[in-house]
Formats: sequence, structure tokens, C-alpha cells
Amino acid sequence: MTVRDHARETVISVENLTFSYPGSSLKALDGLSFRVTEGEFIGITGPTGAGKSSLVLCLNGIIPHFQEGTFLGAVKISNCDTFHTSCAELARQVGSVFQDPEAQIVAPIVEEEIAFGLENLAIPPREIDQRISESLELIGISALRHRATTQLSGGQKQRVAIAAAIALKPKILLLDEPTSELDPIGTMEVFDVLRRLNQEHNLTVVVVEQKVNILAEYVGRLLIMKNGKIAYDAPPREVISQPDLLTSVGLRPPPVGDLAFKLKQRGLYPGEVPLTVSEAYLGLSECLASRGNLHD
Amino acid sequence: MIKVADLHFKYGNIDLEVLRGLSFSIEKGEFVALIGQNGAGKTTLLKQFNALLKPTGGSVQIAGLDTGKSTTGELARKVGFLFQNPDHQIFMPTVFKEIGFGPKNLHLSKAEIDHRVEEAAEAVGLSAFLGQNPLLLSKGQRQRVAFASVLSMKPEILVLDEPTTGQDYQEGIEIMEMVLKLNQLGHTIVFVTHDMELVATYAKRVIVLSHGRVLLDDSCRNVFYHPEILRQTNLFPPQIARLAQMFAQKPALFSRPLTVEEIYHEILNLPESTPNVCCS
Repeated sequence: MTVRDHARETVISVENLTFSYPGSSLKALDGLSFRVTEGEFIGITGPTGAGKSSLVLCLNGIIPHFQEGTFLGAVKISNCDTFHTSCAELARQVGSVFQDPEAQIVAPIVEEEIAFGLENLAIPPREIDQRISESLELIGISALRHRATTQLSGGQKQRVAIAAAIALKPKILLLDEPTSELDPIGTMEVFDVLRRLNQEHNLTVVVVEQKVNILAEYVGRLLIMKNGKIAYDAPPREVISQPDLLTSVGLRPPPVGDLAFKLKQRGLYPGEVPLTVSEAYLGLSECLASRGNLHD
Repeated sequence: MIKVADLHFKYGNIDLEVLRGLSFSIEKGEFVALIGQNGAGKTTLLKQFNALLKPTGGSVQIAGLDTGKSTTGELARKVGFLFQNPDHQIFMPTVFKEIGFGPKNLHLSKAEIDHRVEEAAEAVGLSAFLGQNPLLLSKGQRQRVAFASVLSMKPEILVLDEPTTGQDYQEGIEIMEMVLKLNQLGHTIVFVTHDMELVATYAKRVIVLSHGRVLLDDSCRNVFYHPEILRQTNLFPPQIARLAQMFAQKPALFSRPLTVEEIYHEILNLPESTPNVCCS
């Protein structure tokens, strides 16, 4: 029996969520609603000030539990209303990873970092040891177990932060710009891990990210936020096919998608707008072959 | 303008050298991107330019001044720094005072300070905000305040450490367009970024650092058409270069484009022929 045999459960439900920070008349979140089903891989993007980080804080319960403000509507994580559920309880459902690995990692040695959250949930020592091994293996960084956290690369640090979140066995992994300080390969390493957790372990992944070309390549559904609202909610190909939509919210269309769009307008690009360089290669090969520019 | 000769550096009593024998020179008016993986030594190198850090071996000369023998104050007249987070460099109660802080410390006349503040504020589109508290402005506006405070010093060299991180694409482009304008006025620009699309759009020359050494130092185009070397330092070329590279075998189809516009025009200009002609 596989998970797919069950009707898929709604793991996040946001209804009419409105939030403003104390002393501000501006609504950081302005009446937004959406649902996330178990096993989805969701990217959230949008210009600065759109409300992305505020939304993240609502999903892990920091809002309303630690950040004051005016909170209207409801956020439910696996049917638990965040308003009536403690952050500690929510932490078992939602694992969070933030932008700056330096600010998130507290322990000197990798395995101690993974153990930290587990100890706080009063997990017995023998099980802690087992969960450390499991989560490091799942992320593919078992070799780092005894390394000093200060000596890791940025990409490695973020993968340790993800392993620490995964060790708590959450249903949902929530990440707020996890790659903004990483080099291109470090960024890919993090997203490869997210894809594997999502595809092979059915983990629901929600990631806030500025780089649209990375999201296009990895996620199944893209939410674009603007002015505290969800301006667009669709599969990435539908969004990439409209470069004007992306530029109108201050985002950069992925170059290969932009190129295909321009060629399409002249009837030169066949098929769908590509999400990756490899897809663009296939489409462009066809385009060039039909014009007689490719010779074998 | 910048002359780095066999530069070595290590922090305090940590044995490991962060910079391990770097040499390059940058001429007046160049627009240079400094790229490399996390931990390659990029920020450590930038901090040598205004003597926040001093060489533990070799030398750095900025507009003729040896940084080993100069103070950060002296170098501040030559080199302006824009950091990633504007809030790390903003501390005055009004935008006017913030932008005027540097010039005031140069003991310039009040008329000259006023003039410089107004000029810098206008360059970044903040003329209407001079009386406001900078910390009450939006992040993008605060970044422009930080930028104007650098401009008001009229530095010959402008150094930017990940100027677009934390900004969205639109804000990032606005900053880079301001930088480009300064470059066209003759300022020398050195910027650090992980955003290869940004490098492809703006930099003329790229220096690639890896483990405290210079791995590549060449035109932007030459660097991005060396994917196998870039890979060694956790980087890869911008999408369009990667795409064109896939058509590089058996006479290369494209002349090494880096941007959408470049490859688009190359495609339109390819001679059209019917596919069957070669077989007749």
C-alpha cells in the first residue's frame, strides 16, 4: 500500500488571513487564502515587502505567539488552529529553516546541532542517536556528523539546518530564502535535497525564494505575492509563460523562458516555454533544425 | 587604481591563510565582478581595499597609497563601500545628516557639504526625503540612502559587497543602473555577487577567486565560456551561456552570447536555409 492510496490530506489551510504589525496601518498580509495538500512542493516568491516572511511566521506560529499585531482570519496546520496551538506543538508539525545559517546553527558539532531540537522535545537519548543517523543519511551528509559546524561551507550549513529540522519528523518543511547567501552550486545542493525529501518521502515543502529560475526548475506550484496578497497561484510553467506578469511584480523571468517567449512571438519556438536549460536546448534544437541551421 | 601584489592574509593566530598569494591590478574606469564560492575569500579581499584588514604578506596599493601604511580614514577618500545590509551602515537621525556625515568628517565647508548631499540625494532619487529619519524608510530606500552616503564622498573607487542580496530583482537592477552611471562617469567599480545573470549583464571583467587564489581573471565572456573551471569553485555560467554552450560542437552556432538579447539577435540573424538543401 502506498500513500497515494489515501485521499490526500490538507496540511495547511489559510483562510482570509490578515495581519498588521503594531503601530502600522499597513496590512502586511491582506486577506489571503490558500490550501496546501500533503506532498506538494510549493514555492513562494514576490518583491520585497510583499509579505512573504510574515506569511512564513504565520505558518510556524511565531505570529501570533511571539510577534504582536492585529491577526484576523485563521491558519490551520493539519487541522490545528495556530491561534490555539503552542509553537512547541507546531514545531512537531512544521520544521523551519531560515535565511542565515549562521544565525540558526547553535552547536559546535554537527551531531549536537541535530540533537538540540530533539533534546528540547525530551526524546530519549537512544532514539536521539538513531534520529541523528537517519536524518543525516536522508540529507546525504552522514560524513559531516562529527565535523565542526564553523568549518562547513554555506551549502553544507544549510543542509545541516535542514537535517536538524527533519530530525523532528515534521509533516511540513518550511524554508525562508534558504539560499540567498549561497553560491550557485550550494543553492542547487539545497534544492536537490528538498526535491528528494518531497519525492521520495512525501514531505510537504514550502519554500520562499527570490530566484525564479530555481523555483521554475524544482517546484510543482508557485505562489506569487504582492502587497500582502496572493497575486498568482499556478504551476510554474503557466507563470513562466507570462514574462510580463513576472516583471510587473518586480521579478526576473528566467532567461531561457524569456528567450523562448520572444521566439514564440515570431513563431520560431515550438511547444511549451521551457523551465530549464535542458528543456530550452531541446526546443531551440527543433527551432533551428526547422530553419536548416543544424547539420548533423 | 588598485594594485594587489602577492597578497597573503590570515586572521589573528589562525594558521590557515584566507588569501594565499593574490596578484592583479585594476585600472581606472574598469567594471569588475569578483566571484567565487562561499569562503573563497571575496569579502576578506574587499576589506583590504580600505585597510579594514591589512596584508600579512605582499601588498595592496589603492590610488598610489600602500594600505599597509595607510589608515581607513585616509583610504575613505579613495574607496567607497556599499555593504549588503544598509542597516549596518546607517546611523544618523535624518537622511541629510546621514549623507552628509562623510563629507563633514572631511572638514569641508558647509556650502560644499550641502552641495554634495543634494547632488548625491538627487542621483539616487531621494531629494524629497532629506528631512526624514532613514530608519523609517523602506529597505530599498535605505539601501539608496547608504548608496548616497558613499557617493557624497566622491570616491574614485566604489566597492559593493553583494549589493543586491535581500533586494528583489527590480530593486537590484535599480542599484546596478546607478552603479553603471557612475562607471560611465569614470568611477572604478568592484562588486561581489553570487548572481551570475547580474555579472553577465554588468561586468566587463571577472576575477574568479578560489581558496584564496585567483583562478581566472579575464573578460566576462571568456570567463563564462570556461564552465569546467568555474565548476571547481561552485559556480556555473548564466543560463544563456549554458544554452549556447550546448550548441558549441561541430562548428559552434553562436558567438558566445551571455544575455537573452544577444542570443535572440544571433538566432534571428542565422542564415535561413531549407533543411533538405544539403542532401540534394
